[in-house]
Amino acid sequence: MNMLHPIRNGITLLLGILLPFGGQALAAAPHAYEAASTGYFRDGDTLPGAYLQHRQSPGGGTLWGLGPGGGDVKRSSFWGDAHAGVAGYGYRSCVSCHEEQRYSLHSSRANVTCVQCHRGQPISGIHHYYSEMNPIRRHAYVCAKCHEGASASFATYVIHEPPPLASSTAQEFPLFFYAVWCMVILAVGVFAVFIPYVTLWGLRELIGMFTGQRQSHGQ
Amino acid sequence: MASKVNIRRFSSAQMLFHFVLIITFMLLSVTGIAWMYIETGWGKALAAPFGGYSGTLEVHRITGLILLAGFAVHILYTIWKIDWKHFPGSLINRDSIVFQWRDVKDFFLHLGWIVGLSKGPQFDRWSWWEKFDYWAVWWGLIIVGVTGLMLYNPVLTSEYMPGWLLNVALWVHRIEAVLAMAHIFTIHFFIEHWRPRCFPFSATMFEGSKCIEHLREEHPAWIARLEKEGRLDEVLCPCDPVPMRILYFGVGYALIGLGVFLLVFALLNAGLLTLKL
Repeated sequence: MNMLHPIRNGITLLLGILLPFGGQALAAAPHAYEAASTGYFRDGDTLPGAYLQHRQSPGGGTLWGLGPGGGDVKRSSFWGDAHAGVAGYGYRSCVSCHEEQRYSLHSSRANVTCVQCHRGQPISGIHHYYSEMNPIRRHAYVCAKCHEGASASFATYVIHEPPPLASSTAQEFPLFFYAVWCMVILAVGVFAVFIPYVTLWGLRELIGMFTGQRQSHGQ
Repeated sequence: MASKVNIRRFSSAQMLFHFVLIITFMLLSVTGIAWMYIETGWGKALAAPFGGYSGTLEVHRITGLILLAGFAVHILYTIWKIDWKHFPGSLINRDSIVFQWRDVKDFFLHLGWIVGLSKGPQFDRWSWWEKFDYWAVWWGLIIVGVTGLMLYNPVLTSEYMPGWLLNVALWVHRIEAVLAMAHIFTIHFFIEHWRPRCFPFSATMFEGSKCIEHLREEHPAWIARLEKEGRLDEVLCPCDPVPMRILYFGVGYALIGLGVFLLVFALLNAGLLTLKL
């Protein structure tokens, strides 16, 4: 037993020396560039689309590439402060820049405001690794506040959906684009046939009645 | 007296199916449009009788389930009514509502008659547009039914499929519903009630029968076939009493008026929607 004392004391001493250094290393301020990004900023990050490989996408996958996420991704969506460097940022409303996001079902029907989902200050990009909006935790930290039991799959619902008929949507969200176009073609097709058809039919019957042709068909 | 004699065209069960369809469809139309237009004053006014936004959602969902249950019963009814002894030939006889090659020919003959190029077709029991209206309900209910069930509980649905399919389901549901409403409130009403031969109102679906003189013009091949087969007496029936016909007219026009009101105000308020295609 006595022989073990020096060893135990030595280990304790070693830990006592090393741990504070380890703690300091963890607590050290990150490099400025690293703080604004996910940390993936090496050689490839200046190339277009380089960030795509770092996006988290749990919950259902994209069904043979038909789901959302095919469009361009803003680099700032990976930053800890998505609005770093935006002039006059503190005095502007969200929609003064994000006009296209002004309306969604959440805002127009449930009166949900931007910051109720895009929380915290500074507002982090939705793909930033520690963001509440990151798809790996979005369902739990954001959706489930109102939608009890929301799963990662549920959180893949696109709140700010692109205009379904716009050509760019074919790449951003293919199934959405093609399904809505099919329905629009079906609806327009039905009316394109029926409206001229019944208009002429009505006129034909009217003329038939005035000219004494009582029978509408078959005679 | 002959002009007062009617021919039975629909059974009580078929009239009941149609009546349930009318009531649920109109309720779904009002609540669906109220929901879609909730950001406008008109939408809020439509939703008010149902207790506002959340009440409208509940009524829409429950009515949707009732309609789907009715559709399920109708599918069973259809299966029961099929003459399985002579299947599949029984599906393509002249009393069948299944589309046949004859309907394609009738469509072009009818079109030819409309533009004055040919003699009109001799419609048998069902004309092509009656078959279209019938099967359009099937196709429509399958589309709005499947997407409606997906949207009924989004959290549960996303357990079984990616949540983003709800983006697709919502738009498909919405467009099919708008198509169905617009078709019923214009084309269906026009063909069945407003065209000169039927104006101002056809009570066939309420009364279950139609004046034989009218049917001789609209479905000449059917009446000729019944006479030839000696079955005309089997389907002859008296007209409903006048008070009942007044009731049919009143109820019918209340529903038609509601449909037209929804259509007109939906168009007038469309510019106020933030929803964009």
